[in-house]
Amino acid sequence: MKVKVGDVVLPGDLCEEIVAAGEKSKVILGPGLKKEVDGIYVSKAGTLRKRAPNTYWVDNYQKRYIPARGENVIGIVAQKAGDIFRVDVGGSCTASLSYLSFEGATKKNRPKVVIGDVVYAKMLVASKDMEPEIVCVDSHGKKGRLGVLEDGFVFKCSLNLIRKILNPDCPLINSLKNQWPFELAAGMNGRIWIKANTLRETIALGNAILGSEYLSNDEIKSMCTNIAGILAGHIS
Amino acid sequence: MAGKTKKIQLPKSVLEMKFMKKTRERIEKEMENTQDHSSLYSNIITNEMRSASGNFISESSFIFCDTMVEGRLSFKGMNPEIERLMELENADKNEQPSSEMVKDVSDEILAKKMNKFNKKRQNQNPNGEGINNKRKKVNNL
Repeated sequence: MKVKVGDVVLPGDLCEEIVAAGEKSKVILGPGLKKEVDGIYVSKAGTLRKRAPNTYWVDNYQKRYIPARGENVIGIVAQKAGDIFRVDVGGSCTASLSYLSFEGATKKNRPKVVIGDVVYAKMLVASKDMEPEIVCVDSHGKKGRLGVLEDGFVFKCSLNLIRKILNPDCPLINSLKNQWPFELAAGMNGRIWIKANTLRETIALGNAILGSEYLSNDEIKSMCTNIAGILAGHIS
Repeated sequence: MAGKTKKIQLPKSVLEMKFMKKTRERIEKEMENTQDHSSLYSNIITNEMRSASGNFISESSFIFCDTMVEGRLSFKGMNPEIERLMELENADKNEQPSSEMVKDVSDEILAKKMNKFNKKRQNQNPNGEGINNKRKKVNNL
């Protein structure tokens, strides 16, 4: 079936709008779109989206993570094998993390990472046929925001929710950030790590994030004020 | 693709110099290699295959499609290191759009001060030989 931007699409649907755009200028085909000889086909079920000028993708509900280059993910160190760590990122196989890809790590000075540690890392290599590789440093050798996440609490959610809360238009983080001190790391693989000073605050933050999945922006705002009120003891 | 992007080449006269022998040989070898390459697969790789992807670039990640903030955040002093990074990023973002000069004195304050200043000046020259009166004369003409 022929579809246009904003429609609910199914695998096998054809989009002529993108083909037309491709004749004039460069077009970026995001996840869920495949180029075949006779046109652009949809390969996922979801909503067809567009961002100006020429980026198209299918926004779909998904829980299974498929590694993609450049994404920040939260992994759990599962195994130590010689000079690499095997890290579970939720993909079809574990990702490898070299012990040298930490800030300040050398052959003599090994980073203190043990099995069971939670790491926030960037996907360096992600291809269909190979084990993905992740790193905890940027191209300048600085750790930036990456590295081992200490303490805190990790939970899983759908990949959509991660994209939703990280969207600049989403009011969730903006309405929570002035309420109580907390730290948050959201991996594109559907894992969120949170850390707050008390157990109550951590639970409140986790509930706020998970609760915002199917709410509109206004509903998220009212939910956040509600949660903050409960936490402050105004409402019992 | 390789044919389209033209590489900068040394002029012939320079290459013929004695000390450029090694470079000359290397360039000749490179030329041979590339010609062999294209002729070797010319019957398999068609021009159609070369331009098959056309203007379309496949991207397997959402992060290049949607706009997203960084996934590591800290608020109210939970992790000062991360907060410093966030501040730096925000400062970068805010600086870019404001190319105009920043006003040290707002328009309202300027208007108030000017009013006071003008009044003072009028009080100083009540006899009609001040600058204000001169201006009035000009206006009358």
